[in-house]
Amino acid sequence: MTASTPKRIDWTAVRERMAAAEATLRETLEPSSQAHQQVLQQRARQMAQVPASDAAGETLEVLQFVLAHEHYALASRFVDEVYPLRELTQLPGAPRFVLGIVNVRGRIVSVIDIKRFFDLPERGVSDLNKVIILRDGSMEFGVLADVIEGVNLLRMSEIQPPLPTLTGIRAEYLHGVTAQRLIVLDAQKLIRDPAMVINETVES
Amino acid sequence: MKFSIGAKIWLSFVAILIVIVVIGSTAYQSINTLIEAAGWRSHTYQVRTALAVVLSNLKDAETGQRGYLITGEDRYLEPYRAALQQMDGVQAELKTLTADNPAQQQRITSLAPLVQAKMSELKETIDLRTGKGFEAARAVVLTDRGKNVMGQIRAIVREMDDAEAALLKTRDEGVQESSRASQLTILIGFLAAVIIVIAAGIFLTRNIGQPLREVTGIAEKISSGDLSVGLDPGNRSDEVGQLLRAFSRMGESLRGMAAVAEKIAAGDLRVEIVRQSERDALGIAFGKMITTLRDMNGELQGGIDVLSGSASEILAGTTQISTGAEETATSISETSSTVEEIKQTANVASQKSKTVSETAQRAAQVSQAGRKAVDEVADGMQRIYDQMAQVADSIVRLSEQTQQIGEIITTVNDLAEQSNLLAVNASIEAAKAGEQGKGFAVVAQEVKSLAEQSKQATVQVRGILGEVQKATSGAVLATEQGSKAVEVGLKQSNEAGEAIRQLADTIVENAQAAAQIAISAQQQLAGMDQLALAMDNIRTASSQNIASARQSEITAQGLHDLGQKLRGMLARFKL
Repeated sequence: MTASTPKRIDWTAVRERMAAAEATLRETLEPSSQAHQQVLQQRARQMAQVPASDAAGETLEVLQFVLAHEHYALASRFVDEVYPLRELTQLPGAPRFVLGIVNVRGRIVSVIDIKRFFDLPERGVSDLNKVIILRDGSMEFGVLADVIEGVNLLRMSEIQPPLPTLTGIRAEYLHGVTAQRLIVLDAQKLIRDPAMVINETVES
Repeated sequence: MKFSIGAKIWLSFVAILIVIVVIGSTAYQSINTLIEAAGWRSHTYQVRTALAVVLSNLKDAETGQRGYLITGEDRYLEPYRAALQQMDGVQAELKTLTADNPAQQQRITSLAPLVQAKMSELKETIDLRTGKGFEAARAVVLTDRGKNVMGQIRAIVREMDDAEAALLKTRDEGVQESSRASQLTILIGFLAAVIIVIAAGIFLTRNIGQPLREVTGIAEKISSGDLSVGLDPGNRSDEVGQLLRAFSRMGESLRGMAAVAEKIAAGDLRVEIVRQSERDALGIAFGKMITTLRDMNGELQGGIDVLSGSASEILAGTTQISTGAEETATSISETSSTVEEIKQTANVASQKSKTVSETAQRAAQVSQAGRKAVDEVADGMQRIYDQMAQVADSIVRLSEQTQQIGEIITTVNDLAEQSNLLAVNASIEAAKAGEQGKGFAVVAQEVKSLAEQSKQATVQVRGILGEVQKATSGAVLATEQGSKAVEVGLKQSNEAGEAIRQLADTIVENAQAAAQIAISAQQQLAGMDQLALAMDNIRTASSQNIASARQSEITAQGLHDLGQKLRGMLARFKL
């Protein structure tokens, strides 16, 4: 009918492809014993790896997280738990870096945004759906995070001191930076910062 | 012979007339005699009859008397009374008849008293019978007085009759003699008439017929144009002589006219005509002829001039015609070859048109097949359309199931996220536990790793699902486009069907038209054949025209020469 010859559909190839896909799906959903074995062997090899020895030096266990595309780390000693951000209640009259309060298993915890606390520029959209609850003694508050990367051990030697040009509030809370551009924050200073204690009276 | 022909003829006829008069008078006399004799014979018979009547009357009277005497009846007296009445008349007639004969008169005179006596005797007896009866009457009868008287009467009557008979005989003899003399006279007269007629015939033939025949012969010759005949009238002074002399003069006059005609024939029109008389038709005619000839000569002069001029023009014209005919012949030859070429072209056209007609027939069949195919295509299109709808439905369902998978993936992602958090929390708790928590930290790490893997898997699945969604959307779009294309295709196939139907109709019309064209081409070919034939004829006619034109040229030349010749001939006439 038309001048251009229509693309001929190779129905047998299509059927073969369909059959192959179906077979693959079935195999994936019900993996064979051989695949099982492979997975198990791979896992065993990973487990068999010797973790980095403590003998190499003093280590620091940190919790790594991502906030506004920057990788941060906090000493896990001061981390109580991580928690998905739910039912945030904003507080009127609070400083700008205080987003609001959440209820964590009966405890009322305030949530701060360290970007704003550090006066970092807002860069793009972020999830901000995780809360890292820090605790040291009686002080307890939550820090917002995009992604929780997990707990990791850092050698103290790996941690390099921050740049001497860095001054102000950021220099105070910064513990160091690793070669992997991981910003290690000083959790203790952060917790003990008096700025964190908000005690304002709203004059009516 | 100094008599004229009229006198001679008169003389001959008078001689014949005299003979006829002699014969006629003789015959007349003879016939008169015969008539007279016949009259006398009749007279004699009348006398004899009258005598018989007298006697008969007497007898009748006597018969009536006797009957009456015997019977006494009055009716027996009728014959008596009739006889009594007639008796006097008969006697008077007898007396008249015999008046020329004294002897008979004498006898009649003697007869009358006897008759009277007898009649008185009869009357006496009848009266007696009437008055005194039969016996008295019988006594008178017995006296024989009546009988005697009757005897005397009979004797006298017989005597008269005999005398008449003798007279008749004498008269008959005279008549016979006279008629014999007449016969002789007529015979002699007839013979004389015959001789005279023959003699007169021979004489008249010799004396008039012979010269007239000669004159007739001369007239014949003159009428046949021979005027050289000489005539000798001699010294005859009669009409024949005059005729011969007149003929002689006529011959001279005609010879004179012939001489004049001779001169005219020689071209001398100056001759003067002398008229023989006021009514000389020939002279007048000759005069008129010469006048007319002079006039005609003049007119002929003019006519010849015109003829000569015309002949020159005709000559020029025919020369041009001849040239033109040759040019025409050349043109016709060219036309003829062109017609031949056209004929071949027409032949080719005819064959081509035949082929075209057959092709058109095949095209009509093909178009029929095409129509069927297009109908089938429309059906197929409809089926494709339906199946496309099914395909679209399946794809939509697939898309919906993909969405469900997406929801499941979201759930799985949530679960992975929570698992991750749990693992992190577990790690933190393990760290807090110190040395005892190390193994737990490993487990927590492993859980975290699994959560990470789950998350990555969900990401992959999400990506795949996105692609699947994209593909299904593409498929739906493609199906929609396909459906629309099929719709368009359906419409187009319908249009194509309609178009092919129209095309088929057109092709059928074309086939018919092609057939007609083929027929027309055939006819055209036939026409071209006829045209070629006609061109051949025209070529033949043209060559004939050329020949005719040349002939005309020659003829015109001849005409021209004739004009010149006529002019020369006319010059010979002396006016």
